[in-house]
Amino acid sequence: MNLKSLKNLSFAIFFLYFFLVSIKLLEKGIKTLGAEYTDQLFESVSNPFAGLLVGILCTVLVQSSSVTTATIVGLVGSGVLSLEYAIPMVMGANIGTTVTNTLVSFGHVRREQEFKRAFAASTMHDFFNLIVVILLFPLDLYTGFITKLAEDGTEFILATGFTATKPNSPIKAGIKWGSNNILDGLSSIPYVNNLSENSYRVYAVLLIVVAIGFIFLSLRNVVSNMKSLMLNQIEFGLDKALAKGGGLFAILIGILITFSVQSSSITTSILVPIVGSGILSIENAFPITLGANIGTTITAVLASFAVDDPAGLTIALHHVFFNLMGVAIIYPFKAIRNIPVNLAKSLSNITAKRRYIAILYVLITFLLLPLLGVVLFN
Amino acid sequence: MSKESLDNIDAKLSEMLTNSMHIYDVSMNCLLGDTNLDTVRDDLYATDKAINELHREVRREMIVHSAVNSRNLDIPLLLSYMTMSKDIERIGDYCKNLFEIAETGNTFTKGENLDSYIELRNDIGKLIVYLQSCLNLEDETKIHDLITLGSSMSTDLDDKITALLENKETIEYPVSTTLFYRYLKRIVSHIVNASTALIMPTDQIDYLDE
Repeated sequence: MNLKSLKNLSFAIFFLYFFLVSIKLLEKGIKTLGAEYTDQLFESVSNPFAGLLVGILCTVLVQSSSVTTATIVGLVGSGVLSLEYAIPMVMGANIGTTVTNTLVSFGHVRREQEFKRAFAASTMHDFFNLIVVILLFPLDLYTGFITKLAEDGTEFILATGFTATKPNSPIKAGIKWGSNNILDGLSSIPYVNNLSENSYRVYAVLLIVVAIGFIFLSLRNVVSNMKSLMLNQIEFGLDKALAKGGGLFAILIGILITFSVQSSSITTSILVPIVGSGILSIENAFPITLGANIGTTITAVLASFAVDDPAGLTIALHHVFFNLMGVAIIYPFKAIRNIPVNLAKSLSNITAKRRYIAILYVLITFLLLPLLGVVLFN
Repeated sequence: MSKESLDNIDAKLSEMLTNSMHIYDVSMNCLLGDTNLDTVRDDLYATDKAINELHREVRREMIVHSAVNSRNLDIPLLLSYMTMSKDIERIGDYCKNLFEIAETGNTFTKGENLDSYIELRNDIGKLIVYLQSCLNLEDETKIHDLITLGSSMSTDLDDKITALLENKETIEYPVSTTLFYRYLKRIVSHIVNASTALIMPTDQIDYLDE
């Protein structure tokens, strides 16, 4: 390992730790705000459809599903957001994250055929997540089967005595130590100290804002350092995936790349120019995208290590099971697998001819409809 | 561009040159030796296909590399790889053209110029091997030597072609011989162009004379 790689690795580990500390800070901020206020705050997501749309909107705004899901884990872990409310928001984050690679596809807008392929490569992820949400969201809402599975999974992991989940684990102690030091540092600022003593609600809001800012900053740095560290492996993996075509190997490549860089957007955005140039078919890129959808769930699992309430782990596991089931339903059968791919191709055929429709699609799907929905459902 | 990516593309270019050398040897042996064409035809076309596939692989790897490293791209290096791989691929095509001369039945095995043809074959063969040894860019002077040597051979071949066009020489197969020199000249030119891609500024690649 050379010096640059060592530096990237050290920074990635540091920021991963900082990420967990930020989740803890968020938990502290939410608890300081008090149940009375947080109940009011989350009343807007009491309608599951509103929760879903809030999840989409938040992710579109921060351009990272990891930030949204990690924040949700923090909220659930602090006990202020119930699983019932959190689940649709995480599903929404799944949809919202697909906007990033769709925006990347606009880089190919000048060349019709290239744009057609690139836009299809990006929107097949949109259609996949939309279809999975349409199938599983109502099913889980009425039967609660994924939630039950996630709860059973949490119980199982807790029963195994896995260190990170124990309340007195060294990991949790280390995270607590870091968050206490930041809190002490903030309290040493006279203005903040004054707030914490006399206006605890403003102090709590300040903590929440700082924590979300830290989550964003730390995840961004984890992603950039891990990407630098793993560039060669990503390239190697994609070369292999190109040589082998699609299939389960491509899903595995998608999982590994996303797991290693902690961002599905990185994986799916890399695919866009590769498909756009025509060297990878949309059909063969699809399993890599599905792998990215599975790989991205690890961030929420990591975030759950920072919170005290096992419900944090349950929502993280719900995210894992939901995304795994989506792949299990859609991928095995060619006829079903082709649905999101063909929908994306049909849309890209239209947008290649009338490119303004692509812009309208992004604005309507990721901004207007969620905004309108949130207003209507409330 | 990371060393691993470079090594991977270098390895592919080197493999293209190994295949080019093989196809060159086979074609020249068909023209200057007593090789039975039927015994080598399939191998020759398969090797040419292998070169083409390697060329496509180099392009694919460059696209993947660009997509993964979009923020830190060494664009001049990628462009030079693009031209270099194209030049090497063309060497294979001209060797195939040489074989096609042999297919017409016009071989040079009995002519009085055989020795000079054999010498020419050996010199150009050495040039291909020389280019292969320059790929790792360890010694720039070697590349300059290669460019000088190649340019001089190219001029000699041009002179031979001019002499034939002006009917200054009387030989058995004038058309085939002209084509023979012409194809060899193109092979040498592509070797020189590939060499320029290793060291010249991007805008000057292929334009050694200007």
